[in-house]
Amino acid sequence: MMMETDRKDGRTPNQPRMLSCSRNILHRAHGSASWSRGETKVLAAVYGPKAGTKKNEDPEKACIEVIWKPKTGQIGKAEKECEMIMKKTIQSICLLTVNPNTTTSVVVQVVNDDGALLPCAINAACAALVDAGIPMKHLAVAICCCVAEEGSVVLDPTKLEEQQMRGFAYLVFPNSALSALPKGSSLVDGEPLEHGIITSVTHGVMSVDEYLRCVGRGRAACAKLSDVLRRSLQKSE
Amino acid sequence: METKPSNGSPAKFVDQLVVPGDVILDLSTMAEQTIKLGGGLRQDCDAISVIKAGILRFSKPNKYWVESSQKRYVPCAEDSVLGIVVDCKPDNFLVDIKGPSVAFLPVLAFEGGTRRNIPRFEAGTLIYVRVVKANTGMNPELSCVDVLETLGKKLPFEIAVGLNGRVWVNAGSPSIVIVVGNAIMKSESLTKVQQKIMAEKLLQRVQQE
Repeated sequence: MMMETDRKDGRTPNQPRMLSCSRNILHRAHGSASWSRGETKVLAAVYGPKAGTKKNEDPEKACIEVIWKPKTGQIGKAEKECEMIMKKTIQSICLLTVNPNTTTSVVVQVVNDDGALLPCAINAACAALVDAGIPMKHLAVAICCCVAEEGSVVLDPTKLEEQQMRGFAYLVFPNSALSALPKGSSLVDGEPLEHGIITSVTHGVMSVDEYLRCVGRGRAACAKLSDVLRRSLQKSE
Repeated sequence: METKPSNGSPAKFVDQLVVPGDVILDLSTMAEQTIKLGGGLRQDCDAISVIKAGILRFSKPNKYWVESSQKRYVPCAEDSVLGIVVDCKPDNFLVDIKGPSVAFLPVLAFEGGTRRNIPRFEAGTLIYVRVVKANTGMNPELSCVDVLETLGKKLPFEIAVGLNGRVWVNAGSPSIVIVVGNAIMKSESLTKVQQKIMAEKLLQRVQQE
């Protein structure tokens, strides 16, 4: 009982907020999606593939460009950092060799920030990429896990909770895939593909054990999120 | 252990939603068979995996593809498309077909085309062409098609439908062009039966005028 923290909105530590996701909401974008977790809401739009790559980018591969638009204020270093993290995450899930010498732009608009903003943005961007038909190796599902003062792990914090926690981690995992292969044949180093971490961003202080516990909880939450994503895609097809 | 599909039977995910990352076929259980892969699928060593989300379809004898609706056109060989001429070069016209890259239309790729009677297209000319080659990484190559089919039982109009999302409609009076355009735009989300009913209502309204 000592490890259970009572959260202000009455959720258990392992319970993420209400999720809502919709696709194809912007008519002029090639792909679009909105993703909201509780009060945090992000809108993502995908344009492309368009001909030509940016300067200093490899013309043998497709180039991904991320533009982060905050709710208010000018674009500063924090936004540039988010752009870079999202670009690297998207680059690792997309098949860049299918459309070489093209640029795909992902525009992320923050509608409201109430904690766990970057995972929400990554989920929205992934859904928008699916909507646009960009070829991908697999999907990405993201979650935020934070470590409270006494060491317990709490999922999907609100902004207030994020500020009060000792440390938090944004984790991105591949989605759980249906497979016609017999179980056990597609393991990488003895673990199934969905156990791999695509991206991990940590803030604050936490011990190695606490981080590993975050990863474990995050993985389980993302497996469920994967199913929710699949079902939401089913409804819109 | 999951039961593997027996040789010759379609994969168990046919007609279901598949998302990128799903593996739909295990090639190691299907020796000595030719399988054709359409859009949305790719071969990964011994497995066929999905790269675009959509419904998996199968057509006998051996073709699998993922059916999905997208706004951006991906050039495929044997597609008829509507393109807009962007530029003229000595050997090719550069044509925008709403794909990832500009397409080339060779100057000689016309009926009875020789160096002497090269057609003159200004930038902005709309042309109805067939995609001859469409390899990833290379600009698609086009060729000019001949006669357009005239559709329409009660309204006289000409129409060219491109697989790249562009439709060209021409008719005697602007009102007919507008009626046809509206009919096409409205029928996007209707079933066949609903489309017929909608088209008949529109025709009735036009004839009353």
